[in-house]
Amino acid sequence: MDYIYSILTLTGITMIGVMGTYMVTGLTGQFSFGQAAFMAVGGYVSAMLALKYGVPFALAALIGSAAAALSGLLVGMPTVRLRRDYISLVTFGFGEAIISVLNNSAQLTGGAEGLVGIPKRVDLPLVMASVVVCLFLVACYKNSKYGRQCLALRTDELAARSMGIDVNRLKLVTFLFASAITGYAGVLYAFYAQYLEPGYFNWTVSAEWLIIVFVGGINSLTGAMVSAVILTSLPEFLRFASAWRIIIYCIIVLLIINFRPNGIFGDWEISRLWKKKTTVKGGQA
Amino acid sequence: MLQNIFFGLSLGAVYSLVAVGFALVFNILKFSNFSHGGVMSFTAYAGYLAYIMLFDGHISGSWMFLAIVTTAAVVGALTAIVIERVGFRRLRRNNAPVIYYFISSITLGILLENIITIFASSNFYSYPLFFSSNNIALFGTTFSVADVVTLLVSSGALIILLLVLYRSKLGLGVRTVSFDVNTASLMGIDPDLVVMATFAMSGALGGISGVFLGMNYSLYPQLGQLVVKGFVASVIGGLGSITGAVIGALLLGIVEVALIGVVGSGWMPACVFVIMLVFLLVRPRGIAGVIVQEKA
Repeated sequence: MDYIYSILTLTGITMIGVMGTYMVTGLTGQFSFGQAAFMAVGGYVSAMLALKYGVPFALAALIGSAAAALSGLLVGMPTVRLRRDYISLVTFGFGEAIISVLNNSAQLTGGAEGLVGIPKRVDLPLVMASVVVCLFLVACYKNSKYGRQCLALRTDELAARSMGIDVNRLKLVTFLFASAITGYAGVLYAFYAQYLEPGYFNWTVSAEWLIIVFVGGINSLTGAMVSAVILTSLPEFLRFASAWRIIIYCIIVLLIINFRPNGIFGDWEISRLWKKKTTVKGGQA
Repeated sequence: MLQNIFFGLSLGAVYSLVAVGFALVFNILKFSNFSHGGVMSFTAYAGYLAYIMLFDGHISGSWMFLAIVTTAAVVGALTAIVIERVGFRRLRRNNAPVIYYFISSITLGILLENIITIFASSNFYSYPLFFSSNNIALFGTTFSVADVVTLLVSSGALIILLLVLYRSKLGLGVRTVSFDVNTASLMGIDPDLVVMATFAMSGALGGISGVFLGMNYSLYPQLGQLVVKGFVASVIGGLGSITGAVIGALLLGIVEVALIGVVGSGWMPACVFVIMLVFLLVRPRGIAGVIVQEKA
């Protein structure tokens, strides 16, 4: 039972991380290879606050997410104005830089050996509640004016700009929001696993999140969440195939890209079930 | 000092092979091809395999080196052609948006990396020493033979590439397609063939750089992640520009060697990141200053 609990908890944390990726990729069409680094920022900042200064969990979590958003500002400011390729590069470089900083300030962060002794403050109900709250926030954002503007700029940046959308500002705001959510996932992870090491946050994690978003369908939050649940928890239950797991992922992604470019869910959202009249018409357009 | 600059240049030469392989594909399909990293590690291992199974005991020294480089280049070209078939041909047919190319290339890169991990089980292998560790004395300092060879072979490969691009009919086709695919095909150029040839050239360069990286760092499945160096270099140089990529790569090599001397290898990635960020702020077009217009 403990085992299933831990899988569910980790799946929940991954879901929150995937939400961040979904916002960056699904809403604004940018590719972040350093999303896991924001998770590292959130996790390390909150864990160090709790360890060194005895800051209570709630406050540490808040500061951790804020720190992630702040680093998102640092990365986002210079890049939102540039071609989309650059944001991948800069986020990637940011991820590498964070890992190198974490590895090299061993007195503060424990370096490559990791940060140990973080108090356990997170359990399954808290993670589930967090998933629900974050999901609600992201869904609201997607359906808000900003979310619609994001979709416009993702489809055609030039056209969106000419319709009076402040593209750069919108990209930055979305990026910050995504960084904060991902940072919060890092906080949850830190206070659940009670241990942090830089190697956990390298770019393959970010790439895996991207793949998850893509499998579910780049336009669908529902799809991203469903594929997050399936792709993170299923391999845990099918341990025997662990070495082949990523290969199978990759083949699935290639098949989807070639034959069903909109992902499994396309742009279908679960809210259609109770909002049929208004959305079906718009969805066909 | 002179020795360090030279070491930086030889490192930069390897980066420039990566960066140019990267820029070639960017030029023609306008996306950043991350599968290039997969090609690099794949060929590095293929070269090692060829060394174990074919060449060991038959030839040695420089001949061995040449044989391995040639094998890696050929394997790289073939791998890149397969990648183009699997990952991008259908996307081009569908006129898919650029992000799909991008995600496809990342996926292929991860796929190759993990195929290698499964078969080589993330052990470290290393190439034999091809050259005696003698140094060449010149201008009052000494240069290692391996660095000299790296520099020579890389420049040779780049010169051949430039000759192909600017002096042959195929190169004309590549340049035309990179300018405008539709007009090119109206003029009787087969875009499929040209794209395939571009991938083959890029793959061959990737193969050569894979061997060099393998010589410098020993072989491990994540070797291909060094493709980022090529990416950084081509951003500094200006995306899609071949000369820019070479200049950017040489600069990056020198800066990295200098930084290792000043702040140590641990902090180097962080410093490179800051430098890159500042560079992007100051001159986002890159050195060559070509602006690639996003398709509207």
